[in-house]
Amino acid sequence: MHLRVHFSSGVPIYLQLMEQIKHAVETGAVRTGEQLPTIRKVAEDLAMNPNTVARAYRELEREGVIEVRHGSGAFVAEVGTGPKTAAIAQASVELRRAIEAGAMLGLSEPELRRVFEKELSRITGDDGEVVSGSVNGSAGGSEPGGSGERSSG
Amino acid sequence: MSEAVVETHGLSKSYGDKAALRGLELNVPRGSIYGFLGRNGAGKTTTMKLLLGMLRPDAGEFSLFGETVSSEASSVAARRRIGFVSEGKDLYSFMTVGQVIRFTRPFFPGWRRELEDRYLQLFRLPLNQSIMKLSRGMRTQLMILLAMARGAELLVMDEPTSGLDPIMTEEVLQALADLAAGENVTIFFSSHQLAEVEQICDHVCLIDDGQKVLDGVLDDLKSQYRRIVLVFDAAAPAGLAGLKGVDHLRRSGRTASLLAHADVEGIVAEARNFAPLSVDVYPVTLKELFFDHVRGQ
Amino acid sequence: MLWFKAWLETRWRFCFIAASILFAWATPLWAPLFHLRAPAGVPESRLWLAVHVASVLLYIFAAIFLAGSGINSQTTYAATSGFHPSMLFTLSLPVTRRRLLLVRAGLGALQTSVLVIVMAAYTLFDRPEATTAAQLLTYLARAIVCTMPVYALSTMLACLFDEMWQFYGAFMCCVAAFVLQSRIPGLSSLSPFRGMSLISYPIAGPIPWAPVIFSLALTAVLMYASTLIVQRKQY
Repeated sequence: MHLRVHFSSGVPIYLQLMEQIKHAVETGAVRTGEQLPTIRKVAEDLAMNPNTVARAYRELEREGVIEVRHGSGAFVAEVGTGPKTAAIAQASVELRRAIEAGAMLGLSEPELRRVFEKELSRITGDDGEVVSGSVNGSAGGSEPGGSGERSSG
Repeated sequence: MSEAVVETHGLSKSYGDKAALRGLELNVPRGSIYGFLGRNGAGKTTTMKLLLGMLRPDAGEFSLFGETVSSEASSVAARRRIGFVSEGKDLYSFMTVGQVIRFTRPFFPGWRRELEDRYLQLFRLPLNQSIMKLSRGMRTQLMILLAMARGAELLVMDEPTSGLDPIMTEEVLQALADLAAGENVTIFFSSHQLAEVEQICDHVCLIDDGQKVLDGVLDDLKSQYRRIVLVFDAAAPAGLAGLKGVDHLRRSGRTASLLAHADVEGIVAEARNFAPLSVDVYPVTLKELFFDHVRGQ
Repeated sequence: MLWFKAWLETRWRFCFIAASILFAWATPLWAPLFHLRAPAGVPESRLWLAVHVASVLLYIFAAIFLAGSGINSQTTYAATSGFHPSMLFTLSLPVTRRRLLLVRAGLGALQTSVLVIVMAAYTLFDRPEATTAAQLLTYLARAIVCTMPVYALSTMLACLFDEMWQFYGAFMCCVAAFVLQSRIPGLSSLSPFRGMSLISYPIAGPIPWAPVIFSLALTAVLMYASTLIVQRKQY
């Protein structure tokens, strides 16, 4: 499993690690039941803080992506048994539709990515959790992109 | 145990009429790698010297490992568990590498021989070389070796990677990461290399002009802080600064840039009252946090 | 290990002074090579006097020079100004400042004592009258004890100032003290300078307790002051 972290980006490092590990699971780079490298190994290889690695592993365990067996280490959980698997599947479908819509409007990949990240950072709250209410919160529909980005409301 | 390894309350120190520290409140959690940031002259070295008993505070108090340090005896007791790397990385120029290691070892019953051997090899330090002839980078590595091999529970380091080339820097950061992973070690260091701080620290603290202006878990700060950029039809209004949760406002012509740490949603909603042409929200890097919180931006 | 560090710091000075003394000691051996001879007609005792006074001066010189710089580290050759940057490393060690001072001062005192013995031996070797072993040892002991206040003074000045001022200051104080004790009647009976010399107190005479006790007391006071200074100082 190849992990790359951008330490100087504005994205919290533990979140980056979580994303990378989830990506590795989804693409099959690590399979169900396979053991993940120890926290210590990851910290040493990347020369980064072990507490941050530990946090990522904890969150992944909470989300059911991995399971930690005391004394043995961390292992990839069975795909499809996590509490969020169904939700992730459905969200993937929604997002795929949105991306296709954006592509049909003529947006390139970097542009699509920018729009996605902007919208995402708009609705995440103080603790990094998505505040579900705010999706419909600010009234008004969005205006199609023109010169300068506009946000809804 | 999760008490703070270093705690200061109202710590103050002046040199003549220049106030170096004005009521510093620090809390360094056990097991953390704590980045201590600030401009030159902000008070970082003074803080470290106070903690180690080289200076006496004018006011305030501090505790190490949960015990208040107020006498030479308590300072000596604390120093048995502390490793220090000074800014100048100066050691005894009349000794060789091997001699200074042999000199330091007996002071620390918890000396870790295996760490000494490992770092001697890793840093490629020649035992018989006189310290006077070592390059600055190698002196730094030697000092770091001496601090880490003594089995200290707290490492206090003043700009440990300054003057090191990128490979040496990475070796040092890896060694610190490994140390933090395996042992009951807290690492407290000051640095100007923001990139390294972002890489290795889980906690950061920013001081300016002798006081703390920001501290917290770095990943949480990055989650909480957002930069909100607003563009207006006419000159950006000053009233934006008054919005609740806005830390800093920078205006430049028709553009206003806000640094907000809470309730970003609410701020965006309020900001719409000023009728901006566009509103954009971005994540924030440590560099931006530093620049925005330090005077003279 | 503090003794080891102190030795490493001072070994060149000590060897330099010891070598100078041995060189002077060996004068009878190498003087003829350069055709050096005492001028005809100069009485033996006059020569001995000159040598003895020079020895006493050397006791003082050794004491000042070897007193070191309190708890500061020293460079081998040059006198330092301000405190040596490695001071911070030393202070970060779990050692009390008092111990740092006393070990360094202790080694310097031992070195000074050795040199006093070497120089005194030279003087005594040359003496025409017979002396018993007890008298020899007594003289050596009192020479060392009376040199110690000078040593302690130099140490105290080192704790206050950097090396250049320590040396000048110590010499100035010795000169001033010498002048005072030769002018003020009461003081001469306490004077360590006189306690060191065989002129004021001949080797066969009684032990000069007044200067000896005064020297011990003065040394204790000066060393105590040094520890107080070193504990209060900020780096």
